[in-house]
Amino acid sequence: MTMLAVAALFSCEAARAAGDPARGERAFQYCYSCHTVDPNEKATLQGPNLVGIVGRRIAAQEGFEYSPALRAFAREHGAWSEDLLDRYVADPETVVPKTTMAFRGVEEADERADLIAYLKAQPKP
Amino acid sequence: MRFFRCSLAVAALFAAALPAAAQQVQVYQLPAGAYPHDVAPAPDGKMWYAAQKHGAIGIFDPKTGEAREVKLGPKSAPHGVITGPDGAAWLTDGGQNAIVRFDPKTEEIKVWKLPEDTGYTNLNTAAFDKDGIHWFTGQNGIYGRLDPKSGEVKVFKAPKGRGPYGITATPDGEVYYVSLAGSFLGKIDRATGETTVIEPPTPNQGARRVWSDSKGRLWVSEWNSGNLSMHDPKDGSWKAWRLPGEKPRNYAVYVDERDVVWMTDWGADAVLSFDPKTEKFASFPMSAKGANVRQILGRPGEVWFPESGTDRLMVIRTGATQ
Repeated sequence: MTMLAVAALFSCEAARAAGDPARGERAFQYCYSCHTVDPNEKATLQGPNLVGIVGRRIAAQEGFEYSPALRAFAREHGAWSEDLLDRYVADPETVVPKTTMAFRGVEEADERADLIAYLKAQPKP
Repeated sequence: MRFFRCSLAVAALFAAALPAAAQQVQVYQLPAGAYPHDVAPAPDGKMWYAAQKHGAIGIFDPKTGEAREVKLGPKSAPHGVITGPDGAAWLTDGGQNAIVRFDPKTEEIKVWKLPEDTGYTNLNTAAFDKDGIHWFTGQNGIYGRLDPKSGEVKVFKAPKGRGPYGITATPDGEVYYVSLAGSFLGKIDRATGETTVIEPPTPNQGARRVWSDSKGRLWVSEWNSGNLSMHDPKDGSWKAWRLPGEKPRNYAVYVDERDVVWMTDWGADAVLSFDPKTEKFASFPMSAKGANVRQILGRPGEVWFPESGTDRLMVIRTGATQ
């Protein structure tokens, strides 16, 4: 059982490691209506800016009104690791019950890996 | 296709705090996790709901309190549902990036995918014009049209990019939509597909949804500003009213058959009605904190609210028939 779990974990990490930022730009279209990766974005969007999201503290964008659910999640988990982000993007409502992000999630692990690779590749200000 | 049943779990009548004695509030529990995003009245008296997280259309019978859901297809995640002139349910299915028709008699599901090169559009809401053309919005910065007779789908890029959200048809069949990120009201030229941008007086107001009253005036729920606003195309005028409370967040808007305006304030977890004649608001509590009502629709005498945060439907029976 442990071996299987390790294998599954390894497989998951390997899939993320193989994420393609170019393909991830297409996957980012799932997020695009509410999020940006442009540090100079002027539009008022419904979600926080995702510049530097990988490794960033959760619910930490100044001035953004996060849901109580995400603020509680932040107190428990601290920062967005790749693994945590992967789990959240796969099934937001299960990972953060009562999140106001109305998104069902990205089922395919390789698509999530591409998305995370894209987010990591975005230049920080 | 998957079916299941859920019996009525919550049926509450609230007699207190109602502004009109005849009005009754009733709440019904839906299958857990359904996440009812939008709702629409079916011709037979049932209610349809877009079960976004079940990838299904929900069919709820207020007479029995029973709900069942019919799956719409792989990756389905419907956002909007409306009743078409053909008596069918029409869903804007973001997960399938498609417009979906559900026939209530045969339960046949027909899917029109958006063109492949469009990419994921985050399909939002739809309305039919007077010629039976189905117009839809996609929050990633598009709007489009589907001709149900020919099956032709056309997609247009929206002014200001991302943001197209609510859409409505006026009694004379013209179509308007609003842009949440673009903060504008747009009128579609139904012949060319072009949008004329109508700028509201409040900058960055965050127009979430729009609905027409019987006179063709457009009522807009403003998320960022917390206002209810109204544009009259006849004279080009705008009016705006700040919702009561410290930090209102106006999400959904609907105008009933009496031209009473209904909206949902996420800042107060409340439903509000607004009488344009008196310019007064009345407040009704949602069934729970965080009920998150994202849309409103009804039929004469009934106003329905899908609570995405509690998997419930709430109805206010107004006691009016016309």
